[in-house]
Amino acid sequence: MTDRPSILVPIRVLEGESIPEGVPDLLANAHVVLLGYHVIPEQTAPGQAQLQFEDRATERLDEYEAIFEASGATVERRLVFTHDGQKTIDRMTTEHDCLAALVPNATGQVEDVLVAVRGAVGIDRLARVVAGVFGETDASVTLYHAAETDETDEDVATLLDGLAERLGDLGIDRSAIETRVDRNEEAFEAIIEAAEEFDTVVMGESNPSLATFVFGLPADKVATRFLGPVFVVQRGPPQETESN
Amino acid sequence: MTERPVEVKLSGENVAGEAPAAEPETVTDDATVHDDDVELERTIGLVGGLAIGIGTMIGAGIFVFPGLAANNAGVAATLSFAIGGLIALLVALPTSELATAMPRSGGGYYFISRGMGTAYGAIVGLGLWLGLMFAAAFYLVGLGHYASAVFSELGVALPFSPVIGIGLLFGAALTAVSLGGTENTAKIQNVVVGILLVVLTGFLSYGVLDAVGVFGGGTVPEQFFSRGYFPVLTTAALVFTSYLGFAQVATVAGEIKQPGRNLPLAMVGSVLVVTVFYVVTIFVATSAFGADRLGQFGETAMVEVARDFLGLPGAVAILGAGLLATFSSANASILSASRAVYALSRDALLPRKASEINLRYGTPHVALLAAGGPILVLVATGRVELLAEVASFLHLIMYGLMCVALIVLRRRNPEWYSPSYRAPWYPVLPSVGALASFGLIAFMQPASIGIGIVVMLISYLWYRYYAGDVTLKGDI
Repeated sequence: MTDRPSILVPIRVLEGESIPEGVPDLLANAHVVLLGYHVIPEQTAPGQAQLQFEDRATERLDEYEAIFEASGATVERRLVFTHDGQKTIDRMTTEHDCLAALVPNATGQVEDVLVAVRGAVGIDRLARVVAGVFGETDASVTLYHAAETDETDEDVATLLDGLAERLGDLGIDRSAIETRVDRNEEAFEAIIEAAEEFDTVVMGESNPSLATFVFGLPADKVATRFLGPVFVVQRGPPQETESN
Repeated sequence: MTERPVEVKLSGENVAGEAPAAEPETVTDDATVHDDDVELERTIGLVGGLAIGIGTMIGAGIFVFPGLAANNAGVAATLSFAIGGLIALLVALPTSELATAMPRSGGGYYFISRGMGTAYGAIVGLGLWLGLMFAAAFYLVGLGHYASAVFSELGVALPFSPVIGIGLLFGAALTAVSLGGTENTAKIQNVVVGILLVVLTGFLSYGVLDAVGVFGGGTVPEQFFSRGYFPVLTTAALVFTSYLGFAQVATVAGEIKQPGRNLPLAMVGSVLVVTVFYVVTIFVATSAFGADRLGQFGETAMVEVARDFLGLPGAVAILGAGLLATFSSANASILSASRAVYALSRDALLPRKASEINLRYGTPHVALLAAGGPILVLVATGRVELLAEVASFLHLIMYGLMCVALIVLRRRNPEWYSPSYRAPWYPVLPSVGALASFGLIAFMQPASIGIGIVVMLISYLWYRYYAGDVTLKGDI
């Protein structure tokens, strides 16, 4: 039994985004940080939106919280009115020490998980997310690496075997873990292509900011072309936020 | 500043039975936190704050006033601008302290209502809202002058003066744009301010070198106090409208990141920056032509100054800059006015409906229309000096009362009052600030003072009628 990993679930609560099917079960073993947020244009004071929408948003979050709790997750929640959704997601991740954020897409029963491993950095957090979320399910885990041309097979094997071992230590059945390596392809294209056969994807972030992943191009690519839920694992302890 | 509780008790309700919205529990560097885990994100950084302050201020002072001011005070108009800047600074320091103690949206209105009670708050809050409308109208008329100067530059002869028509057109357009919900307005504002500062720095550097004789132009010899001493003060009262922007920073205090650090820096910084620009500009402008000729050029005198130095390209550059600057000042004022409406309706001094947000665009349509409509009426009057002075009057009342509020709060020192920035030289600085603010009013035209007093009276009567039971004062 591992500690429950904290997973941030950002929902645009007033724009009809809700908890997609399958997501509560997916996060049954996690500590869900449920972030309901509402992005308002710059000419509107955030307090103005609060005045008008707080009750409605709170009602919805009540519902969502109940759904997650019914599935077995522990839930903590925030409602934020903001001009800048990225900043809010970044801040929440930091304040609640979330290991990953979920791009919530609908899913059925999760039977196989693609874990995109990009390098040794942040691999411990990746392992904790995978083990925490999927450790007690029957899902099979595929560790996937799109290798660079200058990487030797031994390097890749060391990387993936190391992770597999770590997952084993954290309580995942070793027989449920497979490894897979692709070569000669652009990393993101490769991940998206590989993902099609899987129910959900866990991937590390490449940029220092988690938010660029959730909103930025790579996440769009993965989340829109791969229609299932995507866990974006934050690389490391958050850096000092910019001061201005 | 990291985190601190807010303990201001509100009570009562207005005629419509609405009570003031609850105050937040805590205020952090990144958010305003209400109970039930509801947070308002702070998203404006130091650069954004400076851009709001400078962007609002730099339009009027540099592009509309040089001709008018020189006409009134001669070369000593330079001194008028310096006096205005000094008073602004005297007020900006106490305002900074209040803002770090109460970093909530509403600016001066918020500080005064919490420090001195609802009646003062109502007068200032409604006065601020109307004052911003007068200011916006003034900027739009200035914009009209610049836009019609573009026509004459292009050699298009119009049979009528297009100034007011263009002002109305832009006023309507700005209101419509803000209603529609624009993306990245803050970024655009930052860029506009950056461009303005670059254009002006280049132009002024050349102008100063020319004025001291480097390019052989030399100064037009002229007596400093060519119109006497008194006009220096009346001109200072007139041009004080140029310094209204720093308080606009406080109207978005609830949205500024790290308010304890960024609010004082943005307010004091923007006052210092524009004061330097204004003083140098007036010096350069009066040196180029002398006060008499400058005065004849009126609202677009700066274009002629630029043409004199740099020929047609200079004139075009200043025309463009003037359009941008007056546009951004007007835009900032309309947005601030709608923030003021929000602050008032949050506190039940105006109907809650007034701050309602449009579902489709997410914009406060009632507040924006309530600002945009009257602004158009004011633009239609076309009275540049009167509009500027009434705006100044209403703001000066607020500035003076903010200084008083600071003294009140420091004396009573309630438990919740713990500003992270403290204004220096208490009690001399806020006292002088208050006296200077109220004192400057004495030098205005009687008409402006009359209109200002009527606005204050109406504000007070409205409060008595509509929200006489509402108590906003902090526990002091």
